[in-house]
Amino acid sequence: MTMRDVLFDPLLNKNPITFQVLGICSALAITNSLLSALVMGLSVTAVLAFSNMSISLIRHHLPASVRIIVQITIIASAVIIVDQLLKAFLPETARILSVYVGLIVTNCIVLGRAETFAMQNPVGRSVLDGIGNGLGFGMILIIVATIRELFGNGSLMGVSILPLVSNDGWYVPNEMLLLPPSAFFIIGFLVWVIRSWKPEQVEPADYPPIPNRATEAE
Amino acid sequence: MTNDSPLKAILVVLTAALVCSIVVSVAAVSLRPYQLAHQIFNQAQHIVKLAGLMPTNADALSKKDLMDIFLQLDARVIDIDAGKFEKNLNPVTFDQRKAAVDPERSVTIPTEHDVARLGRRSRFATAYLVWDGGQLKRIILPIHGQGMWSTIYGYIALQADLNTIAAVTFYEQGETPGLGTQIQLPDWQSKWQGRQLWDGTGALRFRIATGRVAPESAAARYEVDALSGATVTADGVTNLVHYWFGEHGFQPFLTHLRETPPIRANN
Repeated sequence: MTMRDVLFDPLLNKNPITFQVLGICSALAITNSLLSALVMGLSVTAVLAFSNMSISLIRHHLPASVRIIVQITIIASAVIIVDQLLKAFLPETARILSVYVGLIVTNCIVLGRAETFAMQNPVGRSVLDGIGNGLGFGMILIIVATIRELFGNGSLMGVSILPLVSNDGWYVPNEMLLLPPSAFFIIGFLVWVIRSWKPEQVEPADYPPIPNRATEAE
Repeated sequence: MTNDSPLKAILVVLTAALVCSIVVSVAAVSLRPYQLAHQIFNQAQHIVKLAGLMPTNADALSKKDLMDIFLQLDARVIDIDAGKFEKNLNPVTFDQRKAAVDPERSVTIPTEHDVARLGRRSRFATAYLVWDGGQLKRIILPIHGQGMWSTIYGYIALQADLNTIAAVTFYEQGETPGLGTQIQLPDWQSKWQGRQLWDGTGALRFRIATGRVAPESAAARYEVDALSGATVTADGVTNLVHYWFGEHGFQPFLTHLRETPPIRANN
């Protein structure tokens, strides 16, 4: 795998959300506005790059018995720093994201990359892998958030695009898009689109499909 | 030392913990002043707006100018239960939220009064008095209470009659995005303006209506339009207003204020 692949594979071919189906919780929670999604994507990218780098640096000295503890300690520290930085310099966004910044610790993508990539690869590649996965995660967040904010609230980045009826405009917003389940539908749709385009992403079925009774009867 | 030895495991964990804790502490301590400055500025912005002192070119206003306006306001700590000003506490440093969890400076709210579902509250609160010459023009009081998911924090500004609402703001809440969070919309908050808390008989009539308030109806003086899809949050807002202007809230203080009008401090 070339350095290029390490960076760009997670964008589409091995996207953490649509291919690995990780990090769904925050993808549901914060994608009702584009600004939150952008900040969340960047925060996760920063955490991933930092944690992958640190863990890769010490990977030869990490006893297998305590490696998860150490990985989580490093990830949690990175998350606290990002959280504090947001609170200091982007307080409004930090207020909207509230607990979800802290919850990056529990985002499976971060521990997943540490465990499967940074533990086996040199520092440079690990950092690129972290950035690539962060961007892949952020990219899906941005797509979902664009759809949700535009059609749920008639705006993008808080700027009104489709004037709402409640403000004497013409657009009746789809309020369901502001609720978390709508992100499920959009992500499911994206997974379907990507896997139709790239069928190699479709996992083999665990069990053979049960034949349809109606066709059997014919 | 091999990676399998228990000593190495302990050493690695301790080193990781030490390094990480140092990094985290340094970040927290060095960023603290920025975070505090934002909090204070944010608060000042809300208060100045409620005081009706925000200049029309608000965007062009520098942070320093805004803080200057804020610092010129007459801030006073009030003793909620005694219904009087408490001169021994400094309104600049007094922190109502810290006081609310300090057993010495807080009280349990009796169940029959606890419509805002707070459990405890601080015995003191900071009020801001707005003067027009020697006349009291507005008084700004802090309010909070349970919404659907979160505690909603806000301020309410009353006109000199201590009954008519001049303005309201909710600056912190964690309600359902797009639904309950509508309580932060300036358009909706502006509908509070001119509404009254009590009617002529002294009954607390203010509430968030269950639909649109007909302008010609008798209730129009006391009610604010509902928020679509946010009934629980709106009920929470009605309840918190009822708590804070009830007999366990600011009512004793406002009664005292009516009987002995405050005098502008010389500063």
